[in-house]
Amino acid sequence: MDKPFVYIQDLNLGYRNKAVLKDLYWEMNIGENYAIGGKSGTGKTSLAKSIAGLVSYQGSIEINFDQLRELPQEVLYVESWYQFKNLEGVANFYYQQRYTSLQANDTLTVHAELVSYGKEKDLQFDQVEPILEALGFATFASSQLIELSSGEHKKLQLVKALWLKPQLLIIDQPYTGLDTASRKNLNILLDQVAEEGVQLILISNDSELPNSIHSFVEIREGKLVEADTLENSTTEIHLREIPEFLKASPLYSSQDIVKMVDVNISYGEKQVLKNINWEIKAGEKWLLQGHNGSGKSTLLSLINGDHPQSYANELYLFGNRRGSGESIWDIKQHIGLISPEFHWYFDTTATVWQSIASGFYDTVGLFQQLPYTKSTQVDELIAYFGLTESKNELLTALPLGKQRLVLLARTIIKNPELLILDEPCQGLDQQQTKHFNQLVDELSSNGMTLIYVGHFESQLPTCIEKRILLEKGGVKVVESLNTEILS
Amino acid sequence: MANYFNTLPLREKLNQLGVCDFMDSSEFLDGVSALKGKKLVIVGCGAQGLNQGLNLRDSGLDVSYTLRKEAIEGKRDSWKNATENNFTVGTYEELIPNADVVINLTPDKQHTAVVNAIMPLMKEGATLLYSHGFNIVEEGMQIRKDLTVIMVAPKCPGSEVRAEYVRGFGVPTLIAVHPENDPQGKGLAQAKAYCAGTGGHRAGVLKSSFVAEVKSDLMGEQTILCGLLQTGSILSFDKMVEKGIDAGYASKLVQYGVEVITEALKQGGITAMMDRLSNVAKIKAFEISEELKDIMRPLFQKHQDDIMSGEFSRTMMEDWANGDQNLLKWRAETGETAFEKTPAGDVKIGEQEYFDNYTLMVAFVRAGVELAFETMVQAGIKPESAYYESLHETPLIANTIARKKLFEMNRVISDTAEYGCYLFDQACKPLLGDFIKKVDTDLVGKNFNEGKDGAVDNRQLIEVNEAIRSHQVEQIGATLRKAMTAMKAIKTA
Repeated sequence: MDKPFVYIQDLNLGYRNKAVLKDLYWEMNIGENYAIGGKSGTGKTSLAKSIAGLVSYQGSIEINFDQLRELPQEVLYVESWYQFKNLEGVANFYYQQRYTSLQANDTLTVHAELVSYGKEKDLQFDQVEPILEALGFATFASSQLIELSSGEHKKLQLVKALWLKPQLLIIDQPYTGLDTASRKNLNILLDQVAEEGVQLILISNDSELPNSIHSFVEIREGKLVEADTLENSTTEIHLREIPEFLKASPLYSSQDIVKMVDVNISYGEKQVLKNINWEIKAGEKWLLQGHNGSGKSTLLSLINGDHPQSYANELYLFGNRRGSGESIWDIKQHIGLISPEFHWYFDTTATVWQSIASGFYDTVGLFQQLPYTKSTQVDELIAYFGLTESKNELLTALPLGKQRLVLLARTIIKNPELLILDEPCQGLDQQQTKHFNQLVDELSSNGMTLIYVGHFESQLPTCIEKRILLEKGGVKVVESLNTEILS
Repeated sequence: MANYFNTLPLREKLNQLGVCDFMDSSEFLDGVSALKGKKLVIVGCGAQGLNQGLNLRDSGLDVSYTLRKEAIEGKRDSWKNATENNFTVGTYEELIPNADVVINLTPDKQHTAVVNAIMPLMKEGATLLYSHGFNIVEEGMQIRKDLTVIMVAPKCPGSEVRAEYVRGFGVPTLIAVHPENDPQGKGLAQAKAYCAGTGGHRAGVLKSSFVAEVKSDLMGEQTILCGLLQTGSILSFDKMVEKGIDAGYASKLVQYGVEVITEALKQGGITAMMDRLSNVAKIKAFEISEELKDIMRPLFQKHQDDIMSGEFSRTMMEDWANGDQNLLKWRAETGETAFEKTPAGDVKIGEQEYFDNYTLMVAFVRAGVELAFETMVQAGIKPESAYYESLHETPLIANTIARKKLFEMNRVISDTAEYGCYLFDQACKPLLGDFIKKVDTDLVGKNFNEGKDGAVDNRQLIEVNEAIRSHQVEQIGATLRKAMTAMKAIKTA
């Protein structure tokens, strides 16, 4: 009988004296494709990295490549998040950096990156073009890596994987940050490569997986067990009452939160935002939507004081014209913001407690001592999110889903006037998402202003009452929503 | 123009060398208010210029850029940097006459020409800001008496100045007021406000003088920062190859080792760096670094003497006048060294391995930092200034070597530093000839602990620890580092 394609025996892997995987046993046979689900923190990523040989473990993992298949005898692991480096080999970036124009090219362009990858792996360039088209990535060829959003980086990694077609392809959270069309096309592409003999392991709790996936597993108590579907395999969260200090209504200095008049942003020849007119009044709850690359992050960066080109546009924030002598810290003190990019570039040396506390000062990392009342509020909020046990751990040591919860806590800690939630639930499972959206509803009932960015209409807070839709840098639709339709 | 320092009586020389005050954060409670509503015009838009300007504007100040006519007409990179980030850009004639503060962020070599061009255009009572004192102190540039002359020097590359600001912190900064040019007594308030505008006030600010900054900066960069790191790197690489260690491994160990080793230095001084070694290795590293200090002391003293007397800047300016003949020749020679030409091998070197297999570099760094610090303090420079220009900057320079070796280091540092670095390197290599002959692969290339049982004599270990910990650079360092704990690690390896 043939040996299994992947054969794992007695796999043990721990993190800081905590066992994550315990005597794990698994056979993955030729022709099988798997989805691994389950709640965050169970060891899915650790298992994937063990199979790809990226971490050290105890036990045995055999990969029996098919010598007859023409595909590369390789295991490729596509990380949930991808860290790139600049031309000097440094990965010391900050999230506002891509809004600043700097002539010296610091990072490679997408095209150059693909050319060098193709050369390294001996691939034909004409074969990558259809993949770029299908994922809507062709227009990014001349973009520098630093200019890409997290969703675009994800796509670049997927493009490379689909181009290479390794015998075993493991993708951690394949859909993170992708818009609806890209998700569908990705599934088609994955089915195609599976047809050609690539075997897939997808780490995902998503219900719309490629047709070629027939087997579902999850990790429970360090072992792999079968799961019928992925629907019910998520974690349960107990709803607690929100801390008292978050129930207070925000004090507005002005009823005009944001006003943009014919705002334009371009880098050289490339126009990113075109004639944007948008007004947000105190207490309004907005949904901001648009496809990948439509300009959403850039638009939000203007509001958060992160974009150098704000100064040349007619922009009013909290009643004041931008560039009238205010500092970016004056603006940020009104705002709680989270975005995938913000998370991506967050301080890697901060603990959970410090990360949340830094939200009071809008800093990335904590640089001062907290007064007693503030410090108590941090503890309360940590307890509310069920994070008390991890409060002294490094943020980066937690699974991504939990990291996201921590940063969400950071976002609301100061009970800000304006809450900007740019895909806040990316990386959370369905229960966590539902729970978080309920929290947003509760918080915003005190009169907080909200801008919420979300790709999928099924996962939104019910309080949303207005929508702005961007297309190719312009405003396509501004509308009031009938809340009954949404809920 | 006469060397300014040499025109001073001894009393005033000592007085200015001794300006050194580590400022309390309460000194910055006024934030940027001394510059609020004033017109700030930056000359030059390279990495420092652009990033400082972005920070100042984000702090609510009015910033624009002035460039030479050719740079504007030719739409050069500096012009694009400024305009694409929506700054106003104009010629000297357009912007300087209305400026309240003119910030000169051009390279040292251009200072005389730039200042001669802008000074006649500056309005009565305005302020001229430098980030380095060479032009005033060594070239003796005379500034119109109605103008205020100040210095604000962030002690980090421009990209870090921006990165630390947007995360809500800053980089350590040195500020100064030129005593010959402070007619209205507003210099210090403006320097503090500028410093706050770039975020520097959160990370530790040292009040210094133009003289102290130049004399310590030149000394640091020539000896420990660039000179000795270059000499040590080349000698280490050549030794490994001579002894049959794989060249790719040797290249990687040298390229990244100095960064990994000095990261410990940054976090906890010489003590922390030495503590990363086993006890046996620490004692050995201590012994050879003592030997290195004895060998190199006269060279360090000569460099300090030439800097104090103005001899160094005189010969360097001769080379400037000569079209950089020496500089270009030496730069080319560095590019031809075997270390520079051997790419780092595709081998994994663990973090601890960089210490265990590169004990020699630990010894070089200890010897160089302590010698530079001691020599500066003996010459009348205060310990705080000496700390900044020796220990504090070593990890930053090491980081440039990790990026692209010595070529990159010499590209990033100023021309002045580069010139001094080559001078030092050429004198130091022959000086270490006999020493390096004795060195074997246990000190560089292989694990020093291999084949040893790790046993040490208690009393010897205690003495060594005591000597390391009680050095003045460690004591002053412990105080200053407290203010900078939040600085992010710069990592490439």
